[in-house]
Amino acid sequence: MSALCLIVDDSRVIRRMANEILKGLGLRTAEAENGQRAVDFCRTTVPDMVLLDWNMPEMDGISCLKALRAMRLEPRPVVVMCTTENGISKIREALEAGADEYIMKPYDQDVLMDKLAQVGLLERA
Amino acid sequence: MDDLLQEFLSETTESLAVLDVELVRFERESSDATILSNIFRLMHTIKGTCGFLGLPRLGAVAHAGENILGKFRDGELEVTPRAVTLILKAIDQIRVLLAEMESTGVEPAGSDAELIDEINAAASGAAGAAPAPAMPEAAADGPAFSDEGFPVAAELLAEVAHALKHDSQPVPESPAPAPEAPRAAEPVRAPEAAPRAADAPREGEAKELANSSIRVNVDVIENLMTLISELVLTRNQLLQMQRGQKDNEFKVPLQRLSHITSDLQDGVTRMRMQPIGNAWNKLPRIVRDLGVSTGKKIELTMQGADTELDRQVLEMIKDPLTHMVRNSADHGIEDGIQRLAAGKPETGTIALNAYHESGHIFIRIADDGKGLDLERIRQKAITNGLATEAAIAGMSEQQILQFIFRPGFSTAEKVTSVSGRGVGMDVVRTNIERIGGTIELTSVAGKGTTFLIKIPLTLAIVSALIVEAGSQRFAIPQLNVVELVGVSDRSDVRIETINTSPVLRLRDRLLPLVSLRGVLGLEAGSRATDRFVIVAQVGANTFGIIVDRVFDTEEIVVKPVAPLLRGTPFYVGNTILGDGSVIMILDPNGLSQAAGQIEHSDQTATQDQNGRTGSQSGDQTSFLLFRTAGHELKAIPLELVARIEGLDAAIIEHVGDGRHVVQYRDHLMPLVPFDAGHQWKQRGQQETLVFSDNGRSMGLAVDEVVDIVRDRMAIELSSARAGLLGSAIIAGKAVDIVDVGHFLTQAFADWFDTSVAQYTTRHALLVDDSPFFRNLVAPLLTAANWKVTTAADGAEALKLREAGHQFDVIISDIEMPNLDGLALASAIRNDPRWNKVPLIALSSHAEEGDIHAGREAGFDEYLAKSDQTRLTENLARVLRLAGRGEANDNLKRAS
Repeated sequence: MSALCLIVDDSRVIRRMANEILKGLGLRTAEAENGQRAVDFCRTTVPDMVLLDWNMPEMDGISCLKALRAMRLEPRPVVVMCTTENGISKIREALEAGADEYIMKPYDQDVLMDKLAQVGLLERA
Repeated sequence: MDDLLQEFLSETTESLAVLDVELVRFERESSDATILSNIFRLMHTIKGTCGFLGLPRLGAVAHAGENILGKFRDGELEVTPRAVTLILKAIDQIRVLLAEMESTGVEPAGSDAELIDEINAAASGAAGAAPAPAMPEAAADGPAFSDEGFPVAAELLAEVAHALKHDSQPVPESPAPAPEAPRAAEPVRAPEAAPRAADAPREGEAKELANSSIRVNVDVIENLMTLISELVLTRNQLLQMQRGQKDNEFKVPLQRLSHITSDLQDGVTRMRMQPIGNAWNKLPRIVRDLGVSTGKKIELTMQGADTELDRQVLEMIKDPLTHMVRNSADHGIEDGIQRLAAGKPETGTIALNAYHESGHIFIRIADDGKGLDLERIRQKAITNGLATEAAIAGMSEQQILQFIFRPGFSTAEKVTSVSGRGVGMDVVRTNIERIGGTIELTSVAGKGTTFLIKIPLTLAIVSALIVEAGSQRFAIPQLNVVELVGVSDRSDVRIETINTSPVLRLRDRLLPLVSLRGVLGLEAGSRATDRFVIVAQVGANTFGIIVDRVFDTEEIVVKPVAPLLRGTPFYVGNTILGDGSVIMILDPNGLSQAAGQIEHSDQTATQDQNGRTGSQSGDQTSFLLFRTAGHELKAIPLELVARIEGLDAAIIEHVGDGRHVVQYRDHLMPLVPFDAGHQWKQRGQQETLVFSDNGRSMGLAVDEVVDIVRDRMAIELSSARAGLLGSAIIAGKAVDIVDVGHFLTQAFADWFDTSVAQYTTRHALLVDDSPFFRNLVAPLLTAANWKVTTAADGAEALKLREAGHQFDVIISDIEMPNLDGLALASAIRNDPRWNKVPLIALSSHAEEGDIHAGREAGFDEYLAKSDQTRLTENLARVLRLAGRGEANDNLKRAS
């Protein structure tokens, strides 16, 4: 069974793009349009990886990350924070809240592939 | 076009619409951090997505917008109208770029440096520090990352900056070689080796969002709607086939199919529903911009934005609504100084309100401005040749206001960039009427103007009656059809003419008619003398449409009328029938006006104005105009006149003391002259108006019947002369209104005392689920001196029994919901309270078996609804018996 990746982004365009890339790499995907929906999703299905955007309505990425970690999901999903935020403090904040990796927007297939390789998901694709 | 780009265009367009609204809100409530963070996020998302798709020009504009919004958010910059205007400008520019991409599929070349510089200047100017635009700033931040041990991030950042600076280069041109990057994060856990049992069922689930709504392309829904329309048509065909058959095994499944089809139709109609707020989105921005450009303070309030209506309807009213709000802001609301001088708050208000009521949507647009300038409208109407000075002098304020709906009418003194766009209120009204809506206008000088729009929820599928005229079939919306009357030259029910206008005598009333063949200029298809009159109602206006044949009612799918036929007022659209033929759907509104024009061709001008307002306010009455010796015109409300007869003077008999009678329909009918000194002719024809009631008739001898006209009933009462109620202006002429009662009592002293006057008033209970039939029968009873109580079904009737009511006769329909007539009869017969009361059944089924069943259940008499004449006669006979308390015995003996 290939790894399941939950794409969390308020932009349909970006969700769709990420979806295409990840599927192209052989992963299974699911989408959520904000942090709250992602948390709801994880209540019933634990993904292997969460590609998490920062700026979103209802619940933003950092709150979602904290919520996900507080849920102590088993097996623990890898969380990759996406951000265009350019302050170093943001990335540190994300890492401290339990993110495993971060990725700068805009990313493309190769960048994403590298990240997946780093978190060890590519071999599960 | 690339799917992804298409998706981007639609997503960004939605975001921009929200941005417009939110920004205007934000300007007013600049302290609200939630609104600001929402705005910032939307702009940020647009910028971010541009990066992904390699849209540097768009991204740069969005970035500038985000930059200044960021300054707002961080409190570095004060929110000023100028700054907000700049952001709105950025949004507009994004829109322009999107529009171009929509048509070409690629981002247009060029640069928006000027706008971006302006925005950045505003962003930095007030902030004092940070003079550089944000992008280089971001790039400059890059190296800092490497200090912290994040070289990849820095590289990427630089790349972003690079891409955004160089318009021509798509972003992810050279992917970052990142594998060697040291990772700050904790080591990633090894992937779980053990297969998880739950994985398989989750496969499908995972594809779905944890989300209760999905996005569906409009085309898909439209297509579905078309398919359902076809399904409806097929179902109709099946039902039609089944109708002629005896009960068979198809009946039940067919009924089920029918129900499911209806439910499906409802479901898809609901799917097409959208909140009206979607049409309102742009308005706050428009009002805001207008306020800024005209220096007025205007507040726009919106209520009921979540009121839902059909997409198609929504599209049709979008532009009219925008136009009206723009008008209100531009012309309606005064500037602050004028408002203060008038004792009004400085800020003007435009209030939008939408709500559902009785299957329609009502939208109210009200402003508290200066109201419409009556004097200007009046002058404009004269200058533009819309009406003569004399005609306007006789008009009410309301009538004058209607001129703004005339083509080519605009009250603006100067054509501003705002409302001078060639769209007038005439277009607004046309658009609204095209979807079967109406628009009403009220205006109070100094207080403001209010428009009330009423539109149907959906246009897609309506129930219609299929008719034929001149070998062509047409559909008439069932909503407007009151009843059908078969007419024949050989029978009593026939079409007569008064001064070339066709009329029909219907239950002692004269109904103005319009021939469908006539107005549409069709050749006579068959020489059949048997034709049908569709009694149609538009507002309070009832008229008849003459057709050759009547088929059936069908659920039809309304397709818009071809542009070629828009000029004719008689069609609302066309449809495809079950057998595949295409037919036109008639517009009863247009036909009723045609009926009006045909009626008095010599007064077209007056009719035009009155007809228009009349169909909206609906307080018009048809009058019969005639002349007597005095030459002045006299008028009688048409509905009082049963017939107009040209009696042969030779058959009029003089019966002493100045009284005249004539043999009329096997009875002697008294004739009363309008003028006491009337000279009875010896030969030729005597024009006579026949009045009938309660089986008796009398004739009023007049010199000449002139015309039938429709107008307002505005009688100035005066008792100058016996026989006249007063005078009125009808169709522009001064006429005397005749007091018919005066002449009736001359003929029959006891006209108003009915034939059963010797009995005390008795009380009848009329039970029928059809309001139409109740309305038909109740007056017959009242005329026979019965007091009438009505009930809609058996259960309702029994409630009256529980409440202790007593009746002298009970007349009941057989087929009714809740408790039918047979059950009601049994219930009545088995309870001492009402078991002595005569019971009469009125039913559309009067076969031998039905009558037997009725008798069994306890009915004393069984009458058929279908036979109008016999019904009246029998009812009178039975009632007379019942009135004497003999009904029971007599009827029992008879059976």
